[in-house]
Amino acid sequence: MIKGEQKTIDEIEGMIADYRKILVVGCGTCVTICFVGGEKEVANLASSLRIKERVKKGDKIIEEAIVKRQCEREFIAEIAEKVRDADAVLSLACSIGAQAMAENFPDKPVLPGVNTTFLGLIEEPGKWSEVCSACGDCIIHLTGGICPVTRCAKSLFNGPCGGSADGKCEISPDVPCAWQQIYDRLAAQNRLHLMDSVFPVRNWRSFSAIGPRRIAREDLQVPKAEETT
Amino acid sequence: MEDLKKGSLAKDRQVPPCQAACPIHQDVRGYLSAIASGDFDKAMRVIKETNPLPFICATICAHPCEDECRRKNADDALSIRSLKRAAVDFGSMPRPSPVPKNGEKVAIIGSGPSGLTAASDLACLGYKVTVFEKESFLGGALAQYVPLYRLPRGLIKRDIDAIHKMGVEFKQNSALGRDFTTGDLKKQGFKAILVCTGLPLSRSLLLPGFDMGNIYLALPFLWDVNFNAKRLPPGKAVIVIGGGNVAIDVARSALRAGAEKVKVACLESGEEMPAFPWEIEEAKEEGIEINCSCGPKCVKGKDGMVCAIETMAVRSVFDREGRFNPTFYEDRISIIEGDIVIIAIGQTADLSFLKGTEKPVTDMGKIICNPDTLATPCEGIFACGEVVTGPGMAVEAMANGRRAALSIHQYMKGEALQIDEPKPFGSLDECVISAIKRQSRQPMPLLKPEERVRCFDYIELGYTKEIAAQEARRCLSCGAGARRIEDKCIDCLTCVRICPYDVPIVTQPPDNSVQIREDQCQACGICVVECPALAIEFNSSLFEDMDKELEEAMSQKGSKIAESKIVLFYCYFGTYSIPGLTHFLNCGLPTEVKAVKMPCVSKLGVSIFLKAFELGADAVFILGCTDEDCIYAKAALWYKRHMENARRILKDLGLREEQIDTIEISDGKYHDLGNRLIALAQNKNVKEVTI
Repeated sequence: MIKGEQKTIDEIEGMIADYRKILVVGCGTCVTICFVGGEKEVANLASSLRIKERVKKGDKIIEEAIVKRQCEREFIAEIAEKVRDADAVLSLACSIGAQAMAENFPDKPVLPGVNTTFLGLIEEPGKWSEVCSACGDCIIHLTGGICPVTRCAKSLFNGPCGGSADGKCEISPDVPCAWQQIYDRLAAQNRLHLMDSVFPVRNWRSFSAIGPRRIAREDLQVPKAEETT
Repeated sequence: MEDLKKGSLAKDRQVPPCQAACPIHQDVRGYLSAIASGDFDKAMRVIKETNPLPFICATICAHPCEDECRRKNADDALSIRSLKRAAVDFGSMPRPSPVPKNGEKVAIIGSGPSGLTAASDLACLGYKVTVFEKESFLGGALAQYVPLYRLPRGLIKRDIDAIHKMGVEFKQNSALGRDFTTGDLKKQGFKAILVCTGLPLSRSLLLPGFDMGNIYLALPFLWDVNFNAKRLPPGKAVIVIGGGNVAIDVARSALRAGAEKVKVACLESGEEMPAFPWEIEEAKEEGIEINCSCGPKCVKGKDGMVCAIETMAVRSVFDREGRFNPTFYEDRISIIEGDIVIIAIGQTADLSFLKGTEKPVTDMGKIICNPDTLATPCEGIFACGEVVTGPGMAVEAMANGRRAALSIHQYMKGEALQIDEPKPFGSLDECVISAIKRQSRQPMPLLKPEERVRCFDYIELGYTKEIAAQEARRCLSCGAGARRIEDKCIDCLTCVRICPYDVPIVTQPPDNSVQIREDQCQACGICVVECPALAIEFNSSLFEDMDKELEEAMSQKGSKIAESKIVLFYCYFGTYSIPGLTHFLNCGLPTEVKAVKMPCVSKLGVSIFLKAFELGADAVFILGCTDEDCIYAKAALWYKRHMENARRILKDLGLREEQIDTIEISDGKYHDLGNRLIALAQNKNVKEVTI
């Protein structure tokens, strides 16, 4: 799932400085699960901003709203009135949700309250780690279910490199060496022969070399009115 | 009472096992929660909702609720009856709410627990109720036979006075069959008559020698002791025949009436004795000898007076079908020496007043009636209590009285009777039991055995408020805790991962979602605070109450320093362990400090801290248990994290982290608490603060 982190109060204060009525909008999916933009976090951030206003005797009005998925226009539509009433929207969704808000309310300044950080897994409550880069060409069937593009600091396809020691990556003793993990996993599955093959040079076209990626599936597209007649 | 009006005794729903086991289905959890917070008035209000005889039940109830208390699987059952005693000791009796009268009259014959309950319930339903009592005093068997050391008569009066205030009329010295007939009552406009005359006659034994002098029957003996201050001649040994509660009452009364020695002889083995175990234990403490598994054969006399009883060893008391059918080893004879014999082998009804009714209404010494409706074959005449059910607990008679009241109500309305009994939650899982912190039951303090046998003083001394609150705090609050809000839950699994008791689980497909097992929840509230979607709420109002109290505290006017407000959240469960502290927090703090009670630090999340500041607080302090003291597993750990998070936010907002802090009271010294809080809030040394 998408993981994020809330921006600091200082950053948020800077963003909202020019607006009087702020609508803090949360999202009920990924950012709720990673504790940055669910209903509770919206309430706490809104409360914090109101305290700040009380202390500095400001006159900002901080409102709250939550939508089921901020990346869907049908759900966003439910808070249209609140958005219209606000001077700016402070989105606590991931950047996808925040951009959807901006798309749907083009005349309204949308401010990101969250830094969208990565696609990751929960290790344990309170700990998440990145496991996927959405590179568009998955090869984990060859690597024991472990993505070297994301989990190897160098995105190596033929690791490990010389920086691997005692199962850890040279960038930090907290970071496991992905290729050591791949080796261990394949060994446990009795598939170590996969390590004998050398990966060919990767074509990164599927990743980000050609601008923003799009997916278009005609079979899912709703026919336009003229096509049905 | 609302349930009564709707035509059912209790909704068809799951309730805590204590409530299901209670014959009148009292909201035990509700009044224990009130006691745990020190609110004894609220406890009384909750008790009176379903129990018209709180003083009597607080004193003599056999508390079947405790037998089912799920805490017994972790350590000991809650001392529920003793806590009801604390409620009546420290709480005030709520005023009865006015009920519009429906103009119908009901007569109740007998003022024992079943009659009083029926009277109270029918009055609540709008009937004009008159209770006719044969004796000059009210209370039935409770007033006539229960020993004073178990039930001081003033307590019976407290309950009856409350029923009287509801508009119920009492007519003493009015015996059915002697002073009036059912026909007379019908002529006076009573549409329904409820007979609840109990079991006032003692059974006797027809065995050789039982016609000698110095042989008494249990009930006349107890009457004599209670009303005529009967004293036994000095130096005499008393043999009590019987193993039930009345036998134990007789034995203990005989001791107090001057018996040199008291010996109980009963058919049953120790485990089979029908008397309540605590009564037997207390009797033994007083020096009473219990001879089990011996059946009386004859009385040995000398000069026409008793000198011993001869007994046979009992082979079995009950037959294969469980019926009372004792068999003996006739060659195994024992002698129990004594000068007086009192027979306490059971009671029977006195139905002589029913002779001459238009239809037969008695059979084998009992009143014939429909067991569901309690209606007798005579139109408009109902019966309830022990005269119908046979001997049992007072609270069972009360439940039967309630059934009769409801049945009469339905009879008057011409509708069919519908009574649904609530179902109890199932047993606790082993994983939940193992995570419950052990905490021993508080024993009811009693007069010392050597003191109590000298007089008829009430032997139970009662809890202090603090001990009562501590004991009530042991309640596991079955079913009062977390509930998943289906529309809001996104199955993030946070609750599944953090619950210290493993209460939330993931269900199998096709549901495949989070399920919070409400019947297993211990109501710590950690999941409510942690849930990022605010998708968990409580079945009880603990969180709402805390929010409301904070809002009320912050809206109060009259602060000495208008710009300064300090909120002190205090755990009302923990503070009750320090005598006087709760009173001090409510009355002894400077006006700048607003004390807000909370039900355990486990329920304090970042949002409540922030809310206090939003509402105008300049500092927030928390007075709660340390990890060792808190009854909830891991509560203090989570609370400290929430506090640290809130402090970090304060810092980010340009405030001082120290504006949120915990406060401790060492050695029970709390009188400088106000100064300490103000000093901390103003970042000063306590000596610089003057209130």
